Amino acid sequence: MNSTNYDACPECDLLLKPAQLKIGEKAHCPRCGLLLSRPRKQSIERTFALSITGFILFFPSVLLPMMGITVLGDANTGTLLSGVIALFNENMWPVAIVVFLASIMFPLVHISLSLLISGHLYFKRSNRYLVTWMRWMYHLDEWIMLEVYMLGIIVACVKLMAIAPLKFGWGLYAFIALIIITTLLTSNLDNRLFWQRIEQLRKENNNAS
Amino acid sequence: MQAKTNALSQGFIRCDDCGFLVKTGNHSLSCPRCNSHLHARHPHSLQRTSALLFSSFLLYIPANIFPIMTVNQFGAGDPHTIAGGIVELIDSGMIPIGLLVLVASILVPSSKLIGIGLLLLCTHFRWQINARRWTVMYRIIAFVGRWSMLDIFMISILVDLVNFGEVQIIAGPAATAFAAVVILTMFAAENFDPRLLWDNQKNL
Repeated sequence: MNSTNYDACPECDLLLKPAQLKIGEKAHCPRCGLLLSRPRKQSIERTFALSITGFILFFPSVLLPMMGITVLGDANTGTLLSGVIALFNENMWPVAIVVFLASIMFPLVHISLSLLISGHLYFKRSNRYLVTWMRWMYHLDEWIMLEVYMLGIIVACVKLMAIAPLKFGWGLYAFIALIIITTLLTSNLDNRLFWQRIEQLRKENNNAS
Repeated sequence: MQAKTNALSQGFIRCDDCGFLVKTGNHSLSCPRCNSHLHARHPHSLQRTSALLFSSFLLYIPANIFPIMTVNQFGAGDPHTIAGGIVELIDSGMIPIGLLVLVASILVPSSKLIGIGLLLLCTHFRWQINARRWTVMYRIIAFVGRWSMLDIFMISILVDLVNFGEVQIIAGPAATAFAAVVILTMFAAENFDPRLLWDNQKNL
Protein backbone atom coordinates (compact mmCIF):
# COMPACT_ATOMS: atom_id res chain seq x y z
CA MET A 1 0.00 0.00 0.00
CA ASN A 2 1.24 3.44 -0.87
CA SER A 3 -0.79 5.42 1.58
CA THR A 4 0.66 8.92 1.87
CA ASN A 5 0.14 11.94 4.04
CA TYR A 6 -0.43 14.05 0.97
CA ASP A 7 -3.38 14.88 -1.16
CA ALA A 8 -3.72 16.42 -4.63
CA CYS A 9 -6.17 18.92 -6.04
CA PRO A 10 -8.29 17.17 -8.70
CA GLU A 11 -8.36 20.21 -10.99
CA CYS A 12 -4.88 21.71 -10.80
CA ASP A 13 -2.86 18.80 -9.37
CA LEU A 14 -1.34 20.86 -6.56
CA LEU A 15 0.31 18.68 -3.94
CA LEU A 16 -1.30 19.43 -0.59
CA LYS A 17 -1.11 18.51 3.03
CA PRO A 18 -4.73 17.67 3.86
CA ALA A 19 -6.19 19.80 6.63
CA GLN A 20 -7.95 18.21 9.57
CA LEU A 21 -11.32 19.89 9.22
CA LYS A 22 -14.03 20.25 11.81
CA ILE A 23 -17.68 20.05 10.83
CA GLY A 24 -18.80 23.32 9.28
CA GLU A 25 -15.37 24.18 7.91
CA LYS A 26 -14.46 24.14 4.24
CA ALA A 27 -11.14 23.50 2.52
CA HIS A 28 -10.41 25.22 -0.78
CA CYS A 29 -7.43 24.58 -3.03
CA PRO A 30 -5.06 27.52 -2.45
CA ARG A 31 -4.07 27.62 -6.11
CA CYS A 32 -7.25 27.14 -8.15
CA GLY A 33 -9.88 27.71 -5.49
CA LEU A 34 -11.73 24.40 -5.89
CA LEU A 35 -13.78 23.26 -2.92
CA LEU A 36 -11.76 20.27 -1.73
CA SER A 37 -13.74 19.01 1.20
CA ARG A 38 -16.53 20.02 3.45
CA PRO A 39 -17.25 17.53 6.21
CA ARG A 40 -20.92 17.19 7.03
CA LYS A 41 -22.54 16.36 10.33
CA GLN A 42 -23.64 12.70 10.56
CA SER A 43 -23.04 12.24 6.87
CA ILE A 44 -23.66 8.49 6.83
CA GLU A 45 -26.79 8.56 8.97
CA ARG A 46 -28.31 11.43 7.02
CA THR A 47 -27.46 9.93 3.65
CA PHE A 48 -29.08 6.67 4.76
CA ALA A 49 -32.25 8.42 5.96
CA LEU A 50 -32.51 10.64 2.88
CA SER A 51 -31.98 7.74 0.47
CA ILE A 52 -34.81 5.78 2.11
CA THR A 53 -37.09 8.80 1.77
CA GLY A 54 -36.02 9.41 -1.82
CA PHE A 55 -36.50 5.77 -2.75
CA ILE A 56 -40.05 5.80 -1.38
CA LEU A 57 -40.89 9.13 -3.05
CA PHE A 58 -39.55 7.95 -6.37
CA PHE A 59 -42.47 5.71 -7.26
CA PRO A 60 -45.36 8.17 -6.81
CA SER A 61 -43.42 10.84 -8.67
CA VAL A 62 -42.87 8.62 -11.69
CA LEU A 63 -46.23 6.86 -11.76
CA LEU A 64 -48.80 9.40 -10.56
CA PRO A 65 -50.08 12.05 -13.00
CA MET A 66 -48.19 15.34 -12.69
CA MET A 67 -50.56 17.58 -14.56
CA GLY A 68 -53.65 17.54 -16.71
CA ILE A 69 -55.11 19.70 -19.44
CA THR A 70 -58.59 19.86 -20.98
CA VAL A 71 -59.11 20.94 -24.60
CA LEU A 72 -62.57 20.93 -26.24
CA GLY A 73 -63.92 18.65 -23.53
CA ASP A 74 -61.16 16.03 -23.88
CA ALA A 75 -58.87 15.63 -20.88
CA ASN A 76 -55.23 14.47 -20.91
CA THR A 77 -52.91 13.81 -17.98
CA GLY A 78 -49.18 13.26 -18.12
CA THR A 79 -46.62 11.43 -15.97
CA LEU A 80 -42.84 11.31 -16.24
CA LEU A 81 -43.13 7.93 -17.93
CA SER A 82 -45.94 8.83 -20.34
CA GLY A 83 -43.82 11.69 -21.72
CA VAL A 84 -41.13 9.15 -22.62
CA ILE A 85 -43.74 6.85 -24.19
CA ALA A 86 -45.24 9.71 -26.22
CA LEU A 87 -41.80 10.47 -27.69
CA PHE A 88 -41.34 6.79 -28.49
CA ASN A 89 -44.68 6.70 -30.32
CA GLU A 90 -43.57 9.57 -32.52
CA ASN A 91 -40.45 7.63 -33.54
CA MET A 92 -38.22 9.99 -31.57
CA TRP A 93 -36.62 7.07 -29.79
CA PRO A 94 -33.12 8.59 -29.38
CA VAL A 95 -34.65 11.56 -27.54
CA ALA A 96 -36.98 9.25 -25.64
CA ILE A 97 -34.03 7.19 -24.41
CA VAL A 98 -32.12 10.30 -23.30
CA VAL A 99 -35.14 11.66 -21.41
CA PHE A 100 -35.78 8.25 -19.85
CA LEU A 101 -32.18 7.90 -18.68
CA ALA A 102 -31.77 11.43 -17.33
CA SER A 103 -35.12 11.76 -15.61
CA ILE A 104 -35.99 8.22 -14.48
CA MET A 105 -33.26 5.61 -14.82
CA PHE A 106 -30.19 7.44 -13.52
CA PRO A 107 -31.96 9.09 -10.57
CA LEU A 108 -33.37 5.69 -9.55
CA VAL A 109 -29.99 3.97 -9.84
CA HIS A 110 -28.31 6.82 -7.95
CA ILE A 111 -30.76 6.68 -5.05
CA SER A 112 -30.58 2.87 -4.91
CA LEU A 113 -26.78 2.96 -4.86
CA SER A 114 -26.62 5.59 -2.13
CA LEU A 115 -29.18 3.57 -0.15
CA LEU A 116 -27.06 0.43 -0.52
CA ILE A 117 -23.76 2.14 0.29
CA SER A 118 -24.94 4.19 3.25
CA GLY A 119 -26.89 1.20 4.57
CA HIS A 120 -23.80 -0.98 4.49
CA LEU A 121 -21.71 1.72 6.14
CA TYR A 122 -24.39 2.45 8.75
CA PHE A 123 -24.64 -1.19 9.83
CA LYS A 124 -20.86 -1.64 9.35
CA ARG A 125 -21.35 -4.51 6.92
CA SER A 126 -18.65 -5.13 4.41
CA ASN A 127 -19.44 -6.01 0.83
CA ARG A 128 -17.03 -6.55 -1.99
CA TYR A 129 -19.21 -4.49 -4.35
CA LEU A 130 -19.09 -1.36 -2.17
CA VAL A 131 -16.16 0.02 -4.17
CA THR A 132 -17.89 -0.57 -7.51
CA TRP A 133 -21.14 0.99 -6.31
CA MET A 134 -19.30 4.00 -5.01
CA ARG A 135 -17.56 4.52 -8.36
CA TRP A 136 -20.80 4.20 -10.31
CA MET A 137 -22.51 6.66 -8.02
CA TYR A 138 -19.70 9.14 -8.52
CA HIS A 139 -19.89 8.91 -12.32
CA LEU A 140 -23.70 9.12 -12.43
CA ASP A 141 -23.83 12.38 -10.53
CA GLU A 142 -23.70 14.68 -13.54
CA TRP A 143 -26.35 12.81 -15.54
CA ILE A 144 -29.19 13.23 -13.10
CA MET A 145 -31.34 16.04 -14.41
CA LEU A 146 -34.37 16.17 -12.13
CA GLU A 147 -34.03 19.88 -11.43
CA VAL A 148 -33.64 20.59 -15.15
CA TYR A 149 -36.83 18.60 -15.73
CA MET A 150 -38.56 20.80 -13.17
CA LEU A 151 -37.57 23.86 -15.19
CA GLY A 152 -38.93 22.08 -18.29
CA ILE A 153 -42.26 21.61 -16.47
CA ILE A 154 -42.39 25.32 -15.64
CA VAL A 155 -41.75 26.37 -19.24
CA ALA A 156 -44.27 23.82 -20.53
CA CYS A 157 -46.86 25.16 -18.08
CA VAL A 158 -46.38 28.70 -19.34
CA LYS A 159 -46.82 27.53 -22.93
CA LEU A 160 -49.88 25.43 -22.10
CA MET A 161 -51.62 28.14 -20.11
CA ALA A 162 -52.11 29.95 -23.41
CA ILE A 163 -54.06 26.97 -24.76
CA ALA A 164 -56.16 25.75 -21.84
CA PRO A 165 -56.39 25.72 -18.03
CA LEU A 166 -54.05 23.31 -16.23
CA LYS A 167 -54.59 21.00 -13.28
CA PHE A 168 -51.77 19.71 -11.09
CA GLY A 169 -51.67 16.23 -9.63
CA TRP A 170 -49.98 14.40 -6.75
CA GLY A 171 -47.21 13.24 -9.04
CA LEU A 172 -45.95 16.81 -9.31
CA TYR A 173 -45.92 17.33 -5.54
CA ALA A 174 -44.07 14.04 -5.04
CA PHE A 175 -41.64 15.09 -7.78
CA ILE A 176 -40.90 18.43 -6.09
CA ALA A 177 -40.31 16.62 -2.80
CA LEU A 178 -38.01 14.18 -4.61
CA ILE A 179 -35.93 17.05 -6.01
CA ILE A 180 -35.54 18.54 -2.52
CA ILE A 181 -34.49 15.14 -1.14
CA THR A 182 -31.94 14.47 -3.90
CA THR A 183 -30.45 17.95 -3.46
CA LEU A 184 -30.09 17.37 0.28
CA LEU A 185 -28.67 13.95 -0.47
CA THR A 186 -25.85 15.21 -2.68
CA SER A 187 -25.00 18.02 -0.28
CA ASN A 188 -24.86 15.70 2.73
CA LEU A 189 -22.86 12.95 1.09
CA ASP A 190 -19.23 13.31 2.12
CA ASN A 191 -17.25 11.46 -0.55
CA ARG A 192 -13.99 11.50 1.37
CA LEU A 193 -15.55 10.09 4.54
CA PHE A 194 -17.36 7.39 2.56
CA TRP A 195 -14.16 6.23 0.88
CA GLN A 196 -12.31 6.22 4.23
CA ARG A 197 -15.03 4.12 5.84
CA ILE A 198 -15.12 1.70 2.93
CA GLU A 199 -11.38 1.20 3.19
CA GLN A 200 -11.61 0.78 6.96
CA LEU A 201 -14.35 -1.84 6.60
CA ARG A 202 -12.28 -3.76 4.09
CA LYS A 203 -9.22 -3.75 6.33
CA GLU A 204 -11.23 -5.00 9.32
CA ASN A 205 -12.70 -7.69 7.13
CA ASN A 206 -9.27 -8.79 5.93
CA ASN A 207 -7.96 -8.94 9.50
CA ALA A 208 -10.94 -11.00 10.64
CA SER A 209 -10.62 -13.61 7.90
CA MET B 1 5.45 26.71 3.69
CA GLN B 2 6.70 24.55 0.88
CA ALA B 3 6.84 25.69 -2.73
CA LYS B 4 3.76 24.93 -4.77
CA THR B 5 4.39 21.76 -6.73
CA ASN B 6 2.32 19.50 -8.93
CA ALA B 7 1.66 16.10 -7.46
CA LEU B 8 2.78 14.48 -10.71
CA SER B 9 6.21 16.15 -10.62
CA GLN B 10 6.70 14.65 -7.14
CA GLY B 11 5.76 11.22 -8.44
CA PHE B 12 2.17 11.04 -7.24
CA ILE B 13 -0.96 10.18 -9.21
CA ARG B 14 -4.39 11.01 -7.88
CA CYS B 15 -7.05 8.40 -8.58
CA ASP B 16 -9.80 10.02 -10.67
CA ASP B 17 -12.54 7.96 -9.08
CA CYS B 18 -11.81 7.93 -5.36
CA GLY B 19 -9.15 10.61 -4.86
CA PHE B 20 -6.55 8.23 -3.45
CA LEU B 21 -2.98 9.46 -3.93
CA VAL B 22 -0.58 6.80 -5.23
CA LYS B 23 3.21 6.87 -5.61
CA THR B 24 3.98 6.10 -9.22
CA GLY B 25 7.29 4.31 -8.72
CA ASN B 26 5.99 0.76 -8.64
CA HIS B 27 4.19 0.98 -12.03
CA SER B 28 0.91 -0.34 -10.69
CA LEU B 29 -1.75 0.84 -13.07
CA SER B 30 -4.80 0.40 -10.88
CA CYS B 31 -5.79 2.20 -7.71
CA PRO B 32 -5.15 0.16 -4.55
CA ARG B 33 -8.31 1.49 -2.95
CA CYS B 34 -10.95 1.41 -5.68
CA ASN B 35 -9.32 -0.67 -8.42
CA SER B 36 -9.97 1.82 -11.20
CA HIS B 37 -7.31 2.54 -13.82
CA LEU B 38 -4.86 5.22 -12.78
CA HIS B 39 -4.08 8.05 -15.15
CA ALA B 40 -1.91 11.03 -14.33
CA ARG B 41 -4.00 13.04 -16.82
CA HIS B 42 -7.15 11.99 -18.63
CA PRO B 43 -6.01 9.70 -21.49
CA HIS B 44 -6.03 11.36 -24.93
CA SER B 45 -7.79 14.32 -23.39
CA LEU B 46 -7.20 16.74 -26.24
CA GLN B 47 -8.02 14.31 -29.05
CA ARG B 48 -11.21 13.07 -27.44
CA THR B 49 -12.40 16.51 -26.46
CA SER B 50 -11.78 17.97 -29.90
CA ALA B 51 -13.51 15.03 -31.64
CA LEU B 52 -16.57 15.42 -29.41
CA LEU B 53 -16.54 19.17 -29.81
CA PHE B 54 -16.32 18.94 -33.60
CA SER B 55 -19.27 16.52 -33.81
CA SER B 56 -21.40 18.68 -31.55
CA PHE B 57 -20.50 21.73 -33.61
CA LEU B 58 -21.74 19.98 -36.77
CA LEU B 59 -24.95 18.86 -35.06
CA TYR B 60 -25.55 22.34 -33.72
CA ILE B 61 -26.38 23.51 -37.27
CA PRO B 62 -29.39 21.19 -37.91
CA ALA B 63 -30.45 21.76 -34.29
CA ASN B 64 -31.00 25.42 -35.05
CA ILE B 65 -32.24 25.21 -38.64
CA PHE B 66 -34.88 22.47 -38.42
CA PRO B 67 -38.12 22.78 -36.43
CA ILE B 68 -37.88 21.49 -32.85
CA MET B 69 -41.65 21.01 -32.69
CA THR B 70 -44.75 21.43 -34.80
CA VAL B 71 -48.08 22.61 -33.44
CA ASN B 72 -50.78 20.88 -35.46
CA GLN B 73 -54.14 22.60 -35.22
CA PHE B 74 -57.03 21.12 -37.19
CA GLY B 75 -54.73 19.80 -39.88
CA ALA B 76 -52.65 22.96 -40.32
CA GLY B 77 -49.09 22.57 -39.10
CA ASP B 78 -47.04 25.38 -37.57
CA PRO B 79 -43.35 24.42 -37.24
CA HIS B 80 -41.19 26.12 -34.61
CA THR B 81 -37.43 26.36 -34.50
CA ILE B 82 -35.63 26.90 -31.18
CA ALA B 83 -35.31 30.63 -31.88
CA GLY B 84 -38.91 30.82 -33.09
CA GLY B 85 -40.20 29.37 -29.82
CA ILE B 86 -38.32 32.01 -27.85
CA VAL B 87 -39.60 34.85 -30.04
CA GLU B 88 -43.13 33.56 -29.55
CA LEU B 89 -42.74 33.45 -25.77
CA ILE B 90 -41.40 36.99 -25.64
CA ASP B 91 -44.08 38.26 -28.07
CA SER B 92 -46.84 36.87 -25.88
CA GLY B 93 -45.48 38.75 -22.88
CA MET B 94 -43.71 35.85 -21.10
CA ILE B 95 -40.44 37.75 -20.99
CA PRO B 96 -38.76 36.06 -17.99
CA ILE B 97 -39.56 32.56 -19.30
CA GLY B 98 -38.50 33.60 -22.79
CA LEU B 99 -35.17 34.82 -21.45
CA LEU B 100 -34.75 31.61 -19.45
CA VAL B 101 -35.21 29.50 -22.59
CA LEU B 102 -32.93 31.86 -24.53
CA VAL B 103 -30.17 31.36 -21.95
CA ALA B 104 -30.64 27.59 -21.64
CA SER B 105 -31.02 26.66 -25.29
CA ILE B 106 -29.04 29.26 -27.24
CA LEU B 107 -26.56 31.15 -25.07
CA VAL B 108 -25.39 28.18 -22.98
CA PRO B 109 -24.78 25.72 -25.85
CA SER B 110 -23.07 28.25 -28.11
CA SER B 111 -20.86 29.68 -25.37
CA LYS B 112 -20.02 26.12 -24.35
CA LEU B 113 -18.86 25.30 -27.87
CA ILE B 114 -16.71 28.44 -27.94
CA GLY B 115 -15.46 27.95 -24.37
CA ILE B 116 -14.34 24.35 -24.85
CA GLY B 117 -12.77 25.40 -28.16
CA LEU B 118 -10.78 28.10 -26.37
CA LEU B 119 -9.66 25.67 -23.66
CA LEU B 120 -8.43 23.28 -26.34
CA LEU B 121 -6.55 26.01 -28.22
CA CYS B 122 -5.04 27.22 -24.97
CA THR B 123 -3.66 23.80 -24.02
CA HIS B 124 -2.57 22.95 -27.53
CA PHE B 125 -0.62 26.16 -28.13
CA ARG B 126 0.56 26.40 -24.50
CA TRP B 127 -0.71 29.93 -24.08
CA GLN B 128 0.55 31.63 -20.93
CA ILE B 129 -2.70 32.60 -19.24
CA ASN B 130 -4.16 33.22 -15.83
CA ALA B 131 -4.72 29.52 -15.14
CA ARG B 132 -6.99 30.16 -12.17
CA ARG B 133 -9.40 32.22 -14.25
CA TRP B 134 -9.44 29.60 -17.01
CA THR B 135 -10.06 26.82 -14.50
CA VAL B 136 -13.07 28.76 -13.22
CA MET B 137 -14.29 29.03 -16.81
CA TYR B 138 -13.92 25.27 -17.20
CA ARG B 139 -15.85 24.73 -13.98
CA ILE B 140 -18.72 26.92 -15.20
CA ILE B 141 -18.82 25.10 -18.54
CA ALA B 142 -18.94 21.72 -16.83
CA PHE B 143 -21.64 22.83 -14.40
CA VAL B 144 -23.93 24.58 -16.82
CA GLY B 145 -24.09 21.89 -19.53
CA ARG B 146 -26.98 19.85 -18.20
CA TRP B 147 -29.33 22.83 -18.01
CA SER B 148 -29.61 22.91 -21.82
CA MET B 149 -31.73 19.76 -21.63
CA LEU B 150 -34.55 22.07 -20.55
CA ASP B 151 -35.98 22.32 -24.07
CA ILE B 152 -35.92 18.56 -24.59
CA PHE B 153 -37.79 17.88 -21.34
CA MET B 154 -40.31 20.59 -22.19
CA ILE B 155 -40.99 18.90 -25.53
CA SER B 156 -41.50 15.52 -23.91
CA ILE B 157 -44.15 17.09 -21.64
CA LEU B 158 -45.87 19.03 -24.44
CA VAL B 159 -45.93 16.10 -26.87
CA ASP B 160 -47.52 13.95 -24.19
CA LEU B 161 -50.15 16.43 -22.95
CA VAL B 162 -51.23 18.12 -26.17
CA ASN B 163 -52.56 15.19 -28.14
CA PHE B 164 -56.27 15.54 -28.79
CA GLY B 165 -56.69 14.40 -32.38
CA GLU B 166 -57.39 17.85 -33.83
CA VAL B 167 -54.77 19.65 -31.75
CA GLN B 168 -51.35 18.02 -31.52
CA ILE B 169 -47.75 18.90 -30.77
CA ILE B 170 -45.23 16.81 -32.70
CA ALA B 171 -41.51 16.75 -31.92
CA GLY B 172 -39.32 17.82 -34.84
CA PRO B 173 -35.97 16.55 -36.14
CA ALA B 174 -34.07 19.37 -34.41
CA ALA B 175 -34.92 17.79 -31.02
CA THR B 176 -32.71 14.77 -31.76
CA ALA B 177 -29.86 16.97 -32.98
CA PHE B 178 -30.15 19.29 -30.01
CA ALA B 179 -30.20 16.45 -27.47
CA ALA B 180 -27.09 15.05 -29.15
CA VAL B 181 -25.37 18.45 -28.93
CA VAL B 182 -26.06 18.64 -25.18
CA ILE B 183 -24.87 15.09 -24.51
CA LEU B 184 -21.75 15.42 -26.68
CA THR B 185 -20.70 18.74 -25.12
CA MET B 186 -21.17 17.20 -21.67
CA PHE B 187 -18.86 14.35 -22.68
CA ALA B 188 -16.42 16.87 -24.16
CA ALA B 189 -16.29 18.82 -20.90
CA GLU B 190 -15.84 15.59 -18.96
CA ASN B 191 -12.95 14.49 -21.15
CA PHE B 192 -11.10 17.77 -20.94
CA ASP B 193 -8.50 17.74 -18.18
CA PRO B 194 -8.13 21.17 -16.50
CA ARG B 195 -4.76 20.08 -15.08
CA LEU B 196 -3.33 20.47 -18.57
CA LEU B 197 -3.93 24.21 -18.25
CA TRP B 198 -1.69 24.25 -15.19
CA ASP B 199 0.94 21.93 -16.64
CA ASN B 200 1.62 24.36 -19.47
CA GLN B 201 2.34 27.36 -17.28
CA LYS B 202 6.08 28.06 -17.07
CA ASN B 203 6.23 30.25 -13.99
CA LEU B 204 3.97 29.01 -11.26
